Amino acid sequence: MVNEKELQDAVKKTVEKKDVKYVVGYEKGTYGFQAKPSFAYEPKDAEKFIFSPLCVHNLAVFPMLEEKPPLRKGEEPDTRKIGVVVKGCDSRAIVQIIQEKGLDRDKVVIIGIPCSGVVDPKKIEAKFPGQIKNVDVKDDGDKFAITIDGKTTKVAKDELMPDKCKTCQYPTPVLYDILIGKEIKSSKKEDYKAVKAFEKKSMKEKWEYWEKQFEKCIRCYACRNACPLCYCKECMVDQLDPQWVRRSVDVSENTAWNLLRAFHLAGRCIGCGQCERVCPMGIPLMELNKKLEKDILELYDYISGIDAEAKPLLAMFKPDDPEEFIL
Amino acid sequence: MDKLILSKDNLPKFIDELIKKNTVFAPVNNNDIVIFSQIKKANEANFDFLNSQYPPKALIFNQTETIFKFKPGPKGDIEPIKIDEKKIIFGIRPCDAKSMAILDYAFSGEFKDPYFLTKRNTSVLIGLSCMQPGVNCFCTSFDDSPASSKYVDILLTDIGDKYYVEVISDKGKQIIKGENKFFKPAKESDEKSKKEAEKKAINTIKRTQKTEKIVEKLDKIFENKFWKEVADRCIGCGVCTYLCPTCHCFDIQDESTLTKGARIRVWDTCMNPEYTLQASGYNPRPARANRVKNRVYHKYNYYPKNYNVIACVGCGRCIDLCPVNIDIIDVVTRAGEVKP
Amino acid sequence: MNEKFEPNIIGFLCNWCSYAGADLAGTSRIQYPPNLKVIRVMCSGRVNPIFVINALQQGADGVLIGGCHPGDCHYERGNYLARRRMAVIKKLLEHVGIDPNRVRMTWVSAAEGNKFAEVVKEVTEDIKKLGPMQHFKRENKW
Repeated sequence: MVNEKELQDAVKKTVEKKDVKYVVGYEKGTYGFQAKPSFAYEPKDAEKFIFSPLCVHNLAVFPMLEEKPPLRKGEEPDTRKIGVVVKGCDSRAIVQIIQEKGLDRDKVVIIGIPCSGVVDPKKIEAKFPGQIKNVDVKDDGDKFAITIDGKTTKVAKDELMPDKCKTCQYPTPVLYDILIGKEIKSSKKEDYKAVKAFEKKSMKEKWEYWEKQFEKCIRCYACRNACPLCYCKECMVDQLDPQWVRRSVDVSENTAWNLLRAFHLAGRCIGCGQCERVCPMGIPLMELNKKLEKDILELYDYISGIDAEAKPLLAMFKPDDPEEFIL
Repeated sequence: MDKLILSKDNLPKFIDELIKKNTVFAPVNNNDIVIFSQIKKANEANFDFLNSQYPPKALIFNQTETIFKFKPGPKGDIEPIKIDEKKIIFGIRPCDAKSMAILDYAFSGEFKDPYFLTKRNTSVLIGLSCMQPGVNCFCTSFDDSPASSKYVDILLTDIGDKYYVEVISDKGKQIIKGENKFFKPAKESDEKSKKEAEKKAINTIKRTQKTEKIVEKLDKIFENKFWKEVADRCIGCGVCTYLCPTCHCFDIQDESTLTKGARIRVWDTCMNPEYTLQASGYNPRPARANRVKNRVYHKYNYYPKNYNVIACVGCGRCIDLCPVNIDIIDVVTRAGEVKP
Repeated sequence: MNEKFEPNIIGFLCNWCSYAGADLAGTSRIQYPPNLKVIRVMCSGRVNPIFVINALQQGADGVLIGGCHPGDCHYERGNYLARRRMAVIKKLLEHVGIDPNRVRMTWVSAAEGNKFAEVVKEVTEDIKKLGPMQHFKRENKW
């Protein structure tokens, strides 16, 4: 259980500093099981900050979304820091961006919250449909305590957590300036069970499965925009000269897009699951990312988003890298 | 308006008859979501749904539309496209049907868009009233109802053991004339049941958006810092625009191989910075705050000023799917209360 | 398999080693299958996985990337980076149901004209057995 007062005080202290522009955290949503990202520009804004199992968003996407408008004459660039409230998985995104030199370590103030699991919005919506008033969900050991209309129901976490939380190995942020509460050690291990089960299928079955999924894609690029690690100033799909992926929406181009994005996240994806959460058509994008995460661990013994000093996977090499596929 | 009764047993038979002579689209289950797809048999349709994930405007205003074909070369052989589709969209909700009427304004006017208008004029909308509106439905905020027959050709309302059928347009009458054997005239008690069911559905809708004098109010707060606070959390994902039944921004591109090609129109989204990026590098909407503000203004200020109708039907898809909970009901209600 | 199926294979050959090796195979009049269509790149590290995906989309049945032997890259390390990239793209294609043997990589030096011919023979045979690439071809239906 996270002490919200401690969180609000930490945010207040951070915002009060002259060199911090704002802190982004979570506040209560507008209905049902929603929470929403919230920005504190002044100390009093910190009072609306909360943390609960409903805080499913990855706020590490905001430091890279900072817009830098062209400066007027005589105007100095705004070099103030940005504060971010992160859970364990979110902090890995910031570490990975620092590793790639996308962000300077001293440009971001990390307020870490040890997390013991959030809810999967689709699962909790299916279990308790039609909630208009804000619902209170609290962390209660190995259960979630859900209070609707004054009545509290306790549901086992395993029933409502997304898959990424069930195999979470980093509940405590790996990098932080302030930690709210005590560190949590994880007893879970990622065993890639689903990936291994899928690998056993035949080539034909695999393609049939993915063809059906890619047919659904509407190329809204929500997956790309919600991902904290997709921060290219010009995405390859927006390039017109040369145009790598056509804008028309059909299986061929959708496959090219999804494979291209999965590849660009190879060795960088930290498994926060935002892409799958925001996809309006319910495409299981994490399956692709998890497969590459497993293979990269086996081939190169590399885990993304842990060590800010390490070298990114595809920007470096070892002379004895596996090459049994090379003629 | 004709008022008829269709028994629940006769509904699949009616649909199967329609399939024999027409291309019929109905809500179909696709894993966890419902999408309007073509059906070959009545039992493929699933009418136990709230609303489709993907708006049925995609059947009239296709996501990828070929405008004309050409063969590259000095003579430039251009081949126009024959738009020859007659669709029956079965099970469309009244809000989505209203959105088609709203889109009509954008595609008519001085230059009539044949790709949209031909399909619109030849398609038949057979509506299905909402008996259990969702959490984020707010069609009643626009003086509409979940069982409104204003924008469909035929409306079916579930009144327990049968459907109350209202035949509104000539297109609707043609369809019913061909399949007369499934329908019986309605009694006054049936009409009463429909009105009660409609009232019950309206009372289920708890969320309302205050849109009184919204055009004037928005005019006064264009430069207000309210928009920065609203748009700070927007990540520019574009889901709201792709799933909105009234959004209609598009882009036109040429696709070709070495021997042939086509000019195509694809959906685009104003939430991308590239949408307004000019060749000089200047962008009139450089920040996400500009783009979010533009979206709200387009729906609640520019469109009403041009065509006298708010370009939002209250379907609630953008609220359900916005990853950062930017709630249009909340935004517009609060915008109306901002002191300029 | 269809006896008459002649696969279309795109080869991205690095300028300094494998392209020169292919040249040598030509000047030495070594016979090898004509199915390989060569695109010269300056280094195998130039090959972006989108090239591979685009090639498979536009009608290629297979893709071959030729680079310098490890340690011999003209730009010191391009072939090492390409080695990692190709391993990853092969795993990804396999997971989606596209046979990873359609995308091959080889180290061919400028003096190995014979080896180049052998490689092309082997890759053409393998892809003949796999059949035409059908999965996510650009339909160009208009």
